[in-house]
Amino acid sequence: MELNITVRLARHPAREGRRFSEFAVTLEERMTVLDALFRVQRGMDSSVGFRCACRVGMCGTCAVLINRVPRLACSTPVKGLGSDVVTIEPLPGYPVIKDVAVSLAPFFDQWRRALPAFRPKDRDAPALARIPRDSPFGRLAGPKRDCITCGACHAACSITGTNAAYLGPAAINKALLRLLDPRDAASGDRLKILDSQTSGVWRCHTQFNCTAVCPRGINLTESIGQVKRALLRPRKAFQA
Amino acid sequence: MKASIGDLARKYRWQFSGMVAWAIQRVTGLLLLFYLLLHVHTVSKLGEGPVAFNEAIATFRSPFFKLLEIALLGTVVLHALNGIRITLVDLGVGVGQQRHLFWVLTLGIGLLVFLAGAIPMFLFGVLKG
Repeated sequence: MELNITVRLARHPAREGRRFSEFAVTLEERMTVLDALFRVQRGMDSSVGFRCACRVGMCGTCAVLINRVPRLACSTPVKGLGSDVVTIEPLPGYPVIKDVAVSLAPFFDQWRRALPAFRPKDRDAPALARIPRDSPFGRLAGPKRDCITCGACHAACSITGTNAAYLGPAAINKALLRLLDPRDAASGDRLKILDSQTSGVWRCHTQFNCTAVCPRGINLTESIGQVKRALLRPRKAFQA
Repeated sequence: MKASIGDLARKYRWQFSGMVAWAIQRVTGLLLLFYLLLHVHTVSKLGEGPVAFNEAIATFRSPFFKLLEIALLGTVVLHALNGIRITLVDLGVGVGQQRHLFWVLTLGIGLLVFLAGAIPMFLFGVLKG
C-alpha cells in the first residue's frame, strides 16, 4: 500500500519569504519520516538540509520536531503519525544550521558541565573492573545507560526552553549514572553542580516531557528525582 | 486529514499528560489563591460589625455563587489529588506509572469525590436554595 502525504518542511533561511516548503511525497507503507526527507532531497529539492547517520535509531543524529513532537526521523513510521500532513521542523531551543539541522552545542555544553567522563578511584588498577548485570550498580543503572544524546529531551523540556543555564534531563541522567558507579571518584564535584536552584536538579518541575519524548524510553524524570532524593538524604543515597 | 485539535487532544491525553497535570496544578493554584483573597476579605468584614459582615455574606447566597462553590469544590479536589500525585512521584513512588496516577488518582477518584459533593450541593444549594 502506498502513502500519499504532504511534507511541510521548515526552511532556514526562509525560501522566498516562506518559512515552510511543501512537497507531495509518495511512500511505501513502512517508510519513515527520514525516508520522506530523502525522497524530497533526492527527487524534488536537493537544497534541503537535514542530518542523519546510522538510520536505525542508534545514533540520535536525526532528531527533529515531527508534528510538534521531538522524535527520531529514522524511527518514526509515517503511517503511525496518522496524518496526511507531516510537518518537520528543527528541534526547538537549538541554533538552526540549515532547514531542520540544528547545532547541539547548548546540549553538549550542559553535558560537559555535568562531568560525564568516568573518573576512577583507582587509577592504577591492573585490570578493568567487571560490573555484573545483577550487581547493585547494574540493577540501578539499568536502561538509564541507553541514552544516545539525541537532544530530544532537552528540546521538549520547558525549563531548558526558558533557562539556558539548566543542565537538562540528559546531562543529569548521565551524572546520575556516574554517581551510581561505585568505581567513580568525582561524586562530590558532581553533586555540587547538580545541587543548584537555578541550574541543577531543583529547576525540574516534574512535567515528564523529557520522559515522554525519549526515543530510548528512559525515565529521565525518575533520574532527576533520584538525584533530588540523594541530595536530601546523602547517607542513604544510591543504595541498592 | 490534517493534524487537528483531535490529534493534539490525543497527544496530550497520554503522551504529555505530565505536562497537563502540571498546568492543572498551576491554574487551580492561582484560582485557590484568588478564592483565599476573597475569603480573607469577606472575613475581615467581621471587624466592621455584624451588619457589614451579613451584607458581604448575602452576596454569596445567590444561585450564581452557589454554582461557583461547586466549581470551587472541583478546583480543590483537582489541586489536592494532583498534589498527592506529585508528592508520591517526588518520593519515588509510582514514577513509572505517573500517567496512570494522573488518570486514575487525579481525574478518576477526583471525579468521584467531586460528584459526591457537587450533586448534593446542586440539589440542596442551588435548586432548593
